[in-house]
Order: sequence, then structure tokens, then C-alpha cells
Amino acid sequence: MNDFSELESELRKLRPAPPSPELFSRVERALVDVAEKNKSADNVVHPDRFRINWVSLGLGLAAAAVLLIVARVEINRPAKEIPAVTSLTPMPRDKPGAINDRLMPAGFTQVVYNTRDEGLRFADGSGQPMRRVRYQTHETLQWRNAATGASLRVSYPSEQVELIPVSGQ
Amino acid sequence: MIIKDREEVMDNVATHEDWKVCFSQLAPGLLLFARQWLRSSADAEDVVQEAFVRFWRRNHNIENRALLYATVRSIALDFLRRDNRRARRESDVVSEIEHSVQPKFTTEDETQRALAAAVDHLPDEQREVVVMKIWNELTFIEIGRVLGISQNTAASRYRYALGALRKNFALQ
Repeated sequence: MNDFSELESELRKLRPAPPSPELFSRVERALVDVAEKNKSADNVVHPDRFRINWVSLGLGLAAAAVLLIVARVEINRPAKEIPAVTSLTPMPRDKPGAINDRLMPAGFTQVVYNTRDEGLRFADGSGQPMRRVRYQTHETLQWRNAATGASLRVSYPSEQVELIPVSGQ
Repeated sequence: MIIKDREEVMDNVATHEDWKVCFSQLAPGLLLFARQWLRSSADAEDVVQEAFVRFWRRNHNIENRALLYATVRSIALDFLRRDNRRARRESDVVSEIEHSVQPKFTTEDETQRALAAAVDHLPDEQREVVVMKIWNELTFIEIGRVLGISQNTAASRYRYALGALRKNFALQ
């Protein structure tokens, strides 16, 4: 079945060149350094995955907060200044007390239009190989005022990088 | 239990012999594996050292050879990219000089030197499979995991490599 057995035998007779004697002492020093670092370092883990997500999450939340503030100012101001007009607006008959005259979150959509696998990477200070995947998305936030029917929609592009731990077994 | 033992080793690394036993068994094959992408044995030793220390300190099971070799491969390729050595490696002249100055094998006669040279001239994707199979004794399943390919593809590359070697070697 295996007609290469003779060639395999010849190949196995070749001996890989041995490592230099210094390599053992270098590895030993490196392991000692790692052990000392482990003793002194905090055990807080800062994987890139969280750092990157926090950045995009922070930006997203900041943008959403600004938009909400602007929207509330724009929508609420006329109602306070001309209450008479508000009172003239006919209210729905079925649930008059249930309608909240504010912009309320009405939806969030995230469309991933491109996914790119960027191969194996090592996070700083980590021996665990990780596969880096980049997602390009388009996110849309929606708010709706049930009383007035006004709605606000904000769309923006977004990019996320995810590090996925890889295990050989 | 493994983690506890490993932590103990890390605490007493200067006197503990476990890692030395592992490393002395694995180092020649790992160096040969790393040398495929690197021009000098010194670079290969740097890569193997970094990979082994990472692997050891992360408490990976030493039986998980696929992960160890994947680590070596990844670091070696990063090293290659970082130093822009691929272009120089692809220069036939430099490559020939390199092969003659820093042999990857300890050969005993002309036949073995010719066989080692034939291995060097295999396509990259075939040579790495042969190196892992012959001198590191990985299974095709493990090789597949290292390279991100199926075991059938790994076995196929191995057969192509041996076929090429037999053809080229018979001509010499």
C-alpha cells in the first residue's frame, strides 16, 4: 500500500541539525523572566478584543446620546412653548393615557456587508494564537414619537475586529 | 493537575528539568520546521524560543503538538513578513549560498546531501508536510490542524512530495 517506505526510511536517516547549546540557556532565561513577570504583574487581562469593542461601543453610545439630546430638545421645545396647540391636537380615542409624548427607541438594525478573515495573530503578551476577523457593518438606530408620529433614524458605518481563540485540539 | 504542575515549574524553572526534557526532544524538529521560512539557524532559534516559551507559559498540553507547530509557523511567518525577508529568500543565488553555509541536516555522505538538497527544493506546501511527517512524526490529522487543511489534503501533499523526491533523487 505504501510504496514510499524505502524513501521514507532514507529520509529518516537524515538527522536535523541540533540546536546550539546557547538555545537552552536562552529558553531557560526567558522562562525565568516570564515567571518573574507573572509574579509581579497584575492579573488583569486586556485582550485586544475587548479594547476594540469598547472603542466602537463607546463611540456608538456617545453618538446615540448626542442624538437623543438633540432630538429631545427639538421635539419637546415646541410642545412647552405652545401648549395650546398641543391641546388642540385630537387625541386617539382608544388609549388616550397610554401614549408617551417622547421619542422612544423603536429599532436597531445591523447589516454586516463584508467579513474578512485576516489570519492568525498573537495578541500582545499572549501565547494563544487567535484568528482575526474584520466585520464591516452598517448600523441604523430608530426612535419614534407615538403621540406625534415623528420618527428619527440615524445610520452610520461601523467596523469591528474580533479575535477568535484558535485551538489545535 | 497539569496547570498546577506547570505553575510549579514556572516558579522553579531554574532547577526544574521538565521543560528541558520536552525541549530537548522537540527542538531539532522544531528548528528544522522553522528553518523552512528563515534564512539562518539563528533566526530559527529565535522563533523556536519564542514559540516554546509562549506555549509553555500558557499551560498548553505538550501533547497538543498541532498547536505548538501552528505557533512556530505563525511566529516564523510574522518574522518573515516583519523583516521583509521573503524577497531575499526568493533569490536563488542567496538561497543557494544559504543552503551551503548553514545545512539543515547533519549528513554523512554525498547521497544524504543530495537527498537533503532534494527536500529543500520541494514546493513550500509539500516540504512543510514532509518535515512535519518525517522528522516531527505528526499525524496527517495534526498536520491538517497546523495548516488549516483536511487530513486528506495533507496526505495528498505528502504523496506528491515523496513522488517528486523519488523522481528527482533517482535521476542523481
